[in-house]
Amino acid sequence: MEMRRRSDDDQPNEARERVARAREADELTPSASARTEDPVQMASDQPSAQPGALKLAADRAVVEPIVVPNMVWTSANPIAYGGGSTPPAITHLRELEEEDKSDNGRWGRFDIIPTKSDYVLDLIRLNSLWPLLSGLACCAIEMMSAATSKNDMDRFGMFPFRASPRQADVLIAAGTLTTKMAGPFLRLWEQMPEPKWSVAMGDCTTSGGRYKRSYSTVEGIDRIMPVDVYVPGCPPRPEGLIYGMMKLQQLIRERRGQWAERAVGPTVPQGI
Amino acid sequence: MAQQTRVRSLDDPDVFVESPATIYDAVPPYPPRTEREAEFYHLRDGEMLINLGPQHPSTHGVLRVVLKIDGERVVDLDPVIGYLHRGVEKICENGTWHHAISNCDPLEYVASMFSEAMPVLACEKLLDLQVPRRAEYIRVLAWELNRIASHALFMGWLSLDLGGLTPILYGFIERDEIVEMLNALTGQRVLFNYLRIGGVNGDLNHDFMSRLGDWMSHAAEQVENQTKLINENEIFVGRTRGLGVVDRATALRMCATGPVLRATGIPYDIRRAHPYSVYNELEFDVPTREEGDSYARYLVHVDEIKQSIHIIDQVLHQMPDGTVMAKIPRWIRPRPGRAWVSIESPRGQYGAYVMSDGSDHPFRMRIRDPSFFNLSLVGHLMPGNLIADTMAIMASLDPVMGGIDK
Repeated sequence: MEMRRRSDDDQPNEARERVARAREADELTPSASARTEDPVQMASDQPSAQPGALKLAADRAVVEPIVVPNMVWTSANPIAYGGGSTPPAITHLRELEEEDKSDNGRWGRFDIIPTKSDYVLDLIRLNSLWPLLSGLACCAIEMMSAATSKNDMDRFGMFPFRASPRQADVLIAAGTLTTKMAGPFLRLWEQMPEPKWSVAMGDCTTSGGRYKRSYSTVEGIDRIMPVDVYVPGCPPRPEGLIYGMMKLQQLIRERRGQWAERAVGPTVPQGI
Repeated sequence: MAQQTRVRSLDDPDVFVESPATIYDAVPPYPPRTEREAEFYHLRDGEMLINLGPQHPSTHGVLRVVLKIDGERVVDLDPVIGYLHRGVEKICENGTWHHAISNCDPLEYVASMFSEAMPVLACEKLLDLQVPRRAEYIRVLAWELNRIASHALFMGWLSLDLGGLTPILYGFIERDEIVEMLNALTGQRVLFNYLRIGGVNGDLNHDFMSRLGDWMSHAAEQVENQTKLINENEIFVGRTRGLGVVDRATALRMCATGPVLRATGIPYDIRRAHPYSVYNELEFDVPTREEGDSYARYLVHVDEIKQSIHIIDQVLHQMPDGTVMAKIPRWIRPRPGRAWVSIESPRGQYGAYVMSDGSDHPFRMRIRDPSFFNLSLVGHLMPGNLIADTMAIMASLDPVMGGIDK
């Protein structure tokens, strides 16, 4: 690969000016107020602007990612990545997301994106959610059905059911949680590495369901661990589970880089 | 030994959980209560304990097994059950007879059409109720379809525990097809809640019949394809033939029923031995094998699928006209007394011993689940085998933890 350092004369000033403008705007208004007026802004970039969204502390607010022109290298192939000749028309990550990616899914030139790492990494995480293979009861059959040929969860980026909690991202609580199983189940959750999410599948895990008045069941897993998505049904259809997992993907996308502290109980904001 | 302790959760210091040591150490936190426990938890030279479950993909639910191993060989094992104990029998006592149907549904969640039949048949026996013949035929149709769905999953799971991923995909294709069909009939995919005291909930409909017709046209062929994939597979045969052998005396002594018993050569099938519903009007064989090993159990399952297809074929030809519900009062009060009913579920004899005190709810309902008795054979089957083969043997017994723990 041919490496060369460009001189400043090669660069048109337009892109640089845009970057500079964006930096000024970020410094002046670090919160969402400046971004609200931006016509390019997607609604999913502003979870805090939606009614009932989590309010974040000032130090947890995300700096908007800025794309810096590539000054480091150019591609040996003059066709690939635009030949490295033209400066990026894109200066912000959100524009990068909206760009036409028809060229074999590539995201254009290799540019440097200074941002909070979780802001980008969560995009990767949500498209490859690894659930934990831990069936508890009836819902586990439907969970397996969701993973096999007829309703293939793999299509939506939730593929390999991992048998070990140390390799899993999502805990799908599928089935009745009894008091005897509650301890081991909580240990499974605690063994999973962050970032991790949990989906309560079925009525038993959302509220107790048909065993609510039993002497030996936990009435909803949100009594012992945080829950991100509730999928009601006894049991829900596999499509229902897939819909719940897609809702989880949406949740991760909307709150990317902005995860508040976890707490036991439903993650519904105050006042809702 | 150490007392059982409770520690603060890592995630939330306000929540107390059992100490990790008491959960994940195989040794229980109390002194041995029986001679058997004292013997099992005393280790000789070279022996060690391994904890398997309650979360393990090959335990088919939340079963926990403590294995005592010497090298790669299993010396002894101690199954720990109760991780799915939901108190179904007690809940049934607190509701009416109608409530008991849906409460018994999740017992055998792979084939719940069988477990929900328990309060229905018991109550009908106490009421001396004559069920319309059309309803009986529809019940048989639903039971046999559900049996095929359950057996298709068994074939897939057995191969999955041996390391083959493909058969489970075929098994779920078959199962999903049948379950969608039953969904058109009952409105549910897993916990059907379809049988009613005195009949069934709703007649056959067009959606169900068209799906059934589609499926019947290729059902036999699909079974052939699936068996072609597995039957002669060298790895599959090598890891099932001659492993987990049960002899007849042990199977009878341990109350094993269903395919586990029939694989030892005893043709005991409740549908034939004590005919219920309209099974005495239908023609079918009771497939048996002589060997009693995992492979024989697998072959019995395959033959039963073929027999079930044969039964469904007859049911569709002999289906009488008429109503699907007997005329019964809405408020049911069976006579005081006791009743024992049993049916042939995919796993064996599913029975219930029910007491009624003349009120509108069951006084006591004791449920006999075949998985529990079949699973109790593991103590005889495992010792001497490799650790990896314990999964295959356990899968060939086809336990469902919902029924075992109730």
